[in-house]
Amino acid sequence: MNRRLTVAEQLAKQGVSRRAFLKFCAAAASLMALPPGMAPAIAEALGKRTRPSVIWLSFQECTGCTESLTRSHTATVESLIFDMISLDYHHTLMAASGEAAELARKQAMEQAGYLVLVDGSIPTKDGGIYSAIAGVTNLQMLKETLENAAAVVSIGTCAAYGGIPKADPNPTGAKSVQALMDEGLVPRKPVINVPGCPPIPTVITGVLAHYLTFGEIPELDNLGRPTMFFGDSIHDRCYRRPFYDQGKFAKTFDDEGARKGWCLFELGCKGPTTHNACATTKWNNGTSFPIESGHGCIGCSEPDFWDAGSFYSALSMPTTPLDLAAGAAVAGAAIGVGVALANRSKKGAAKSAHQSAGLADLEK
Amino acid sequence: MSGLEGIPVHIQSAPRAVASGNTQAILAELETALQALLETGREHSIDLRSLPLLPGELDYLQHTLGTGEVRVEVDALGKSEVQETAFRGIWWVTHCNTADDVMAEFIEVSFCPDIIRAQSDDVRESLDALSVRLAGEPVSNQNCRGEGEPL
Ligand code: SF4
Ligand code: SF4
Repeated sequence: MNRRLTVAEQLAKQGVSRRAFLKFCAAAASLMALPPGMAPAIAEALGKRTRPSVIWLSFQECTGCTESLTRSHTATVESLIFDMISLDYHHTLMAASGEAAELARKQAMEQAGYLVLVDGSIPTKDGGIYSAIAGVTNLQMLKETLENAAAVVSIGTCAAYGGIPKADPNPTGAKSVQALMDEGLVPRKPVINVPGCPPIPTVITGVLAHYLTFGEIPELDNLGRPTMFFGDSIHDRCYRRPFYDQGKFAKTFDDEGARKGWCLFELGCKGPTTHNACATTKWNNGTSFPIESGHGCIGCSEPDFWDAGSFYSALSMPTTPLDLAAGAAVAGAAIGVGVALANRSKKGAAKSAHQSAGLADLEK
Repeated sequence: MSGLEGIPVHIQSAPRAVASGNTQAILAELETALQALLETGREHSIDLRSLPLLPGELDYLQHTLGTGEVRVEVDALGKSEVQETAFRGIWWVTHCNTADDVMAEFIEVSFCPDIIRAQSDDVRESLDALSVRLAGEPVSNQNCRGEGEPL
């Protein structure tokens, strides 16, 4: 078998100069949310790493995560990163179909140490029959594929925490990759969660680039998310924060406060309890993020965000089970891991208090 | 694809150039970095994409730092622009991809940003290439316009 080329060799073969490589590493450092001084370390690491094989499994999902990634705009970095990996199986993107596609997956699995990417949750009810590919249930396919994997990246809130398929009443018994490992239903491997509904494309590529470059799992928070992207809450980095601190809140979506860009807390913004990179990385090639468009954060990168009460009720509303978190937010206390934990332990309560976002919420 | 750049969006409500806590902190960081450059030669770089900056704040920074004497365009995996600011030693570096989308933007503090310098591995390869060329080339005293007698 041929020796796989290192990433640097691969680029040199394509006629990429060291200067261009340096530029690539600078852009990659920015993408990976590393300090700019890390560019030489990236260059050095890429000089040694070979192109790893990647198997991407799409389960119970809407393809939004793949869309998010493939519609991203920083074409050069992304395409170079995809040159860096050998994406051996992705049933939406690959040209092969049917048995040829499944054969590609089996072949990629022959050499241990590949990286598995998963989007979508996995149904477990009734033997997992609610989602199957090529006659194989998602559960079975994940089990097989994880066997010789080095690590798995759960892309999107569905794969990371169950997401919308798992939302109450969870008719298919949907579970996250981590939950299946915890229950011993699939082999245990290191997991990196990259939640978001969908995740920010540059966060997906940033996490992948980090793993592919350094060959190790980045530092994770208590929910398995890389702290380099999920370390701060939306609220920590929100440009409307000065208004929050001054107690200036928009009360409706079209009042004076809304026009002046005041804080959206009272309109249901979940920024204080949500950890994601939207406020800095932003969406659509760095154009803006939801709060810049005048809508509060809905907490899409947190477990059970769909069942955590209305998107339009303020965290402080005493009727919601999240008032513990909101109390801390109102008091201006540090919002962090503790709150995320509190929310997680409250998820049962959140479920029972689930309310739908109706017109009444919007007209509050 | 640079579709987004193609949509003529004008932000009307944002103030043109605003000084804020963010911009003052960046300017202070640059002051420290310039001093370190002079004293120890240590270079510094700020990733503008890693900061929650608003358009008005970027404008303010650009306006305050101004434009200096040197502007270099690098063509490597798409264009890069290196513009010295009015504060010598502080450079505004913009890396674009081949579709002209901005991939990364930095303010660098150095005597000469690395991206401009030729890299030693590339120089080594050039030396080899030139030697091969010289060894293989028929020797003549013709100048480049083909004038003069072949030896
Ligand atoms: S509550 Fe929401 S809009 Fe207000 S400062 Fe926090 S994240 Fe920004
Ligand atoms: S602002 Fe909040 S809800 Fe919106 S994309 Fe970011 S994390 Fe998700």
